[in-house]
Order: sequence, then C-alpha cells, then structure tokens
Amino acid sequence: MKIFYFELLKLRKKSRGWIGPILVFVLIMTAFPLTIEFLNEDLNQAFFSVLWIALMLVMMLATEDIFLEDYNDGSLEQLAIKNQSLALILGTKIFIYWILIGVPISFIGSFYGFGITRSFDLGLNVLPILLVTSYIFLNVFSFGNALSLTKGSVLGTLITLPLVLPLLVVLGKVVISINIGLNYFGFLVLLLGILSIIIVVIPLIISFIIRAHLE
Amino acid sequence: MKTIVKASNLSYKINEKKLFHSISFDVCAGSALYVAGGNGSGKTTLLRMIMGISKPTRGSIESFANKEICFIGHKNALKQYLTVEDNLILSSLDTHLNLDKYLIDLDLNNSLDVTVANLSFGQQKKLALLRVFLNDSDLIILDEPCVGLDNNSQQILCSFINEEIEKDKCIIFSSHIQLDIEANILNLDRQ
Repeated sequence: MKIFYFELLKLRKKSRGWIGPILVFVLIMTAFPLTIEFLNEDLNQAFFSVLWIALMLVMMLATEDIFLEDYNDGSLEQLAIKNQSLALILGTKIFIYWILIGVPISFIGSFYGFGITRSFDLGLNVLPILLVTSYIFLNVFSFGNALSLTKGSVLGTLITLPLVLPLLVVLGKVVISINIGLNYFGFLVLLLGILSIIIVVIPLIISFIIRAHLE
Repeated sequence: MKTIVKASNLSYKINEKKLFHSISFDVCAGSALYVAGGNGSGKTTLLRMIMGISKPTRGSIESFANKEICFIGHKNALKQYLTVEDNLILSSLDTHLNLDKYLIDLDLNNSLDVTVANLSFGQQKKLALLRVFLNDSDLIILDEPCVGLDNNSQQILCSFINEEIEKDKCIIFSSHIQLDIEANILNLDRQ
C-alpha cells in the first residue's frame, strides 16, 4: 500500500508527466473532426480508428520516461535492494500511470465517442474497451522503455510496436461489431484475457531487464 | 560474533580487465570494513556485489542482514522536483522519532518546504544521509559518503557510524577522505 501511495505522490507532483499526455489526446480528438467534412457519413467509422491510434500514441508518450528518471537519480537501485518484489513495485508503478493517465483518457475518449456519434450507448460501450486497452498499451510500452532504458525511447517503441499491431486488429473488429450491432462482449473478454496475462508477465520481465541494466 | 557479509574468492573482470582477483573477507556484526583503492579499482563494484546488484565473475558473496540493506551511493535517490519534506515521506522517514534532531544537526530544519533542485549539492547529500541516520538495518553500505559534505557533517557521520558499530551493526564504506572510524581495511589496489 505504501508503494502505491509513494508512486501516486511522485506522479501527482510531476504534473507534466500525466497532464501532458491527456492534453495531447484531447488535442488529437478535438482536431480530428475539424480536418474532415462534418457531414461525411463515414465520420463515425473514422472516429474509432483515430481514437485507437490516438490512445496508442498517447500511451507511448506517457511511458516515455517511466523508468528513466528513477534510473538516473538512483531510486531504481534502492528499489532493487528492497526485500519487496521488484516486479510488484514496477507493476504498481504501471498501475498508477493507468489510474492517472489511462482512466481519464478512457473517460474522455468515451465522451468524445458520445459527442461525435451522438449515440450514448456507443460512447458507453467503448468505455470498457478503452479502459482495458489503455492498460495493455501502458504495460507493453513500459516493457519497450525498460528494454531501451539507456538507449532512448525510440528503440523501445520500435521493438514494441509490432506487439501492439494485433491488438489494433482486434480493436478494428470491435468497432465493426459495435457498428453493425453485434455483441462485442467476446472481444472484451479476449482483451481482458490478454490483460490478465500481461499484468503478471510484463512487470516480471521488466524487473529482470532493469536488474540487467543496473548490473 | 554473527557474520553479516561473507565473501569467498571473489573475482571481477570487465572487458578482459581484472578489477580484483580472489578476494575473501568476512564482516561481522559490530564491525566496519573500509574498502580502499584508487579510481577504477572496483570499490563501487564490490559494494554493489554485496547488495546483490552486480554478480562476481567468480566466487561467491552472501549477506545475512536481517532487514533491508541501507545504502547510499553516488546517486542520492532524491526526487529533484519534490520538496525536502516530500522526499522524507518517500523514504518513510517523516514520522521518525529522531528526525528533528538530525534535521537540526545537518542544518536542514529550515529547508523542509524547499524543492530539492534548489538545494546545494552538499545539502542534497545531507538529505540523502538522513536515510542512513534514521535507518534500523543491521547492514549499512556507504559509497563515498563524504563527497560534498562540510567538516561538521563529516564529523556527525563519523560519530554516527561509531555509535552504530557499538550497537552491533555492520558498516561497509568506501571513501577517499580519511574518516575517524575504527575499521578493517580492504585495499583493492593490492589485489
């Protein structure tokens, strides 16, 4: 519980770390309808594509220095010698990022969905998908940033981008299901299944990667 | 006397360069080990091996500390954008009984609401040292703890370490400055 509070305190005080990605997301979602014809019938469909891509890019941006600051100031060394599991500490850190960045973005995305499609149900349906997907993206991009901790975030992004492409395909299928009125619950369960594996495996792998960097 | 750290035939090689070869030592509770040596002799590497962060090329090292190791290294593990008080909260030191005493001794009592980035290097080092002064670990590892400290703070550190040794704690430190601490010496230049 202490780790949770400490990570929350750090991120809350470093407001640019979480307000920045949220503002970028709002900017993309606000700017997108301005660039195309308002009366375009495909606006609804295009909206979801932009929503997923914006979500992915913003999560990538949010995790850019998730471990770098702790590595540079020696905090990661201190965490590595604690009796507590490093994987648990890192998992908590990712969870806090999701609470402060992923959750607000999911609600904002859902709100935009409601505003653009003018369908309350659609906006509501997309919310759980956004919540789960943002957490998956955060985990995957954190893994990439841990890999390229001392080499800059571009390398990490390049490595992890192929991992999120199948997820974008699933998200595309979700949109089709929602648009033609099919039950998309199966896709939500699939995403939850992916998430349940990822939240256990990724922090564990990251802990090994970080120990290797520290060595 | 209980052994806290036991190293057997430790060797470390980096890029085919031998830093040290076949070192063995025991550090018991109530004693100190001074790791001496020039720049690049492997002092920090040895301390990191004791903490389990680095692995020796050959040999083994074991730590039998009851609690988490208390460590101060070259990096202070302070959050520059947080205040002194917030950093104390992050280290779980804000409610410690002796906090006020050491804050006054180290002249940090008037800087609680100052952002760490606005403190001098020496003041940041003192703040990092509070983690040592207020810990209850039986193994304390200090890598160059005197860098940036004024004479008064160095004396506070030395008297603290001597008190901790009397309390049966185990201290392992490296320093280029001669400290008034009774300790066994491990000179890595001769290894």
